[in-house]
Amino acid sequence: MANDRLDRWIERRARGLARGTSRRSFLARLGTIVVGAAGLPLLPVARASAGERVPAPDEVALAGKPEGDPKRCEYWRHCAIDGFLCACCGGSQNTCPPGTEMSSITWIGTCKNPADGKDYIISYNDCCGQSVCGRCNCTRTEGEKPIYITPKNNDALWCFGTKSRAVQCSVAVVLGVATESS
Amino acid sequence: MSRVALAAVLLAAASHTPAVDYTLHCQGCHLPDGSATPGSVPALSGTVARLARTPGGREYMARVPNVVQAPLDDAELAALLTWVVQRFGGPGDFAPYTAREIAGLRAQPLVDVAAARRELLGGDASR
Repeated sequence: MANDRLDRWIERRARGLARGTSRRSFLARLGTIVVGAAGLPLLPVARASAGERVPAPDEVALAGKPEGDPKRCEYWRHCAIDGFLCACCGGSQNTCPPGTEMSSITWIGTCKNPADGKDYIISYNDCCGQSVCGRCNCTRTEGEKPIYITPKNNDALWCFGTKSRAVQCSVAVVLGVATESS
Repeated sequence: MSRVALAAVLLAAASHTPAVDYTLHCQGCHLPDGSATPGSVPALSGTVARLARTPGGREYMARVPNVVQAPLDDAELAALLTWVVQRFGGPGDFAPYTAREIAGLRAQPLVDVAAARRELLGGDASR
């Protein structure tokens, strides 16, 4: 009797397993994975290397002003940039021009956004792998330090860890708000 | 409120959280996840945890050049270094750095960083 019960139990489990792993359910699960994987590049982590790492700060109030134009040296994020502006070179304030590689090593400072009065953390990444862009040269030095304090100097070329040391232009990516201590 | 107390409040208000200080003063080279850039920057990830468990490692971490020169006061730097140890897998019972301790270690910057690192970690620890 015990063996009969065991047989029936195993049969029920086997049938249930078969129902749960039909081709249709397999395809449904595969579809979920495929669709999910397609969505991954949209997540903030995956986007981080390509552009803004936090929701873009309010720049609407700066529209039409030099402080709101990424192609101008006066653009608010450029308060400590030194180089050619990528927005003039086929890229944007967040992205490198095609054919260049963004250096992950960078120098980081803060700029005040005149639209909301907040200090934002700005990463000045160099775009590497092509010769210098030559358009929209801009040198500003807010919070920048002399070359002997290397991590806070913007005269240095920051193409470290990239395939090429040739620098084409620089971006100004917002990393976050420089919030005060809690 | 006395002037000293007011100054202390203003000073505190101007400081950042350790996480923000890491972004501002460390992440540019050490990256958000502390990973290495081969040939340029050594890893924090893995290395900090080893150093925190190695005799002399605690002192080493507060004496490397860009830590000594960070534009932070001793209390801010103590909080930042403690955060770094916790963030990169240091032991749970790691005693927080104190401002007084940092002041003493900052006064003894490392002259030969690579040699000190080799002595602590051995092997290929030249950077």
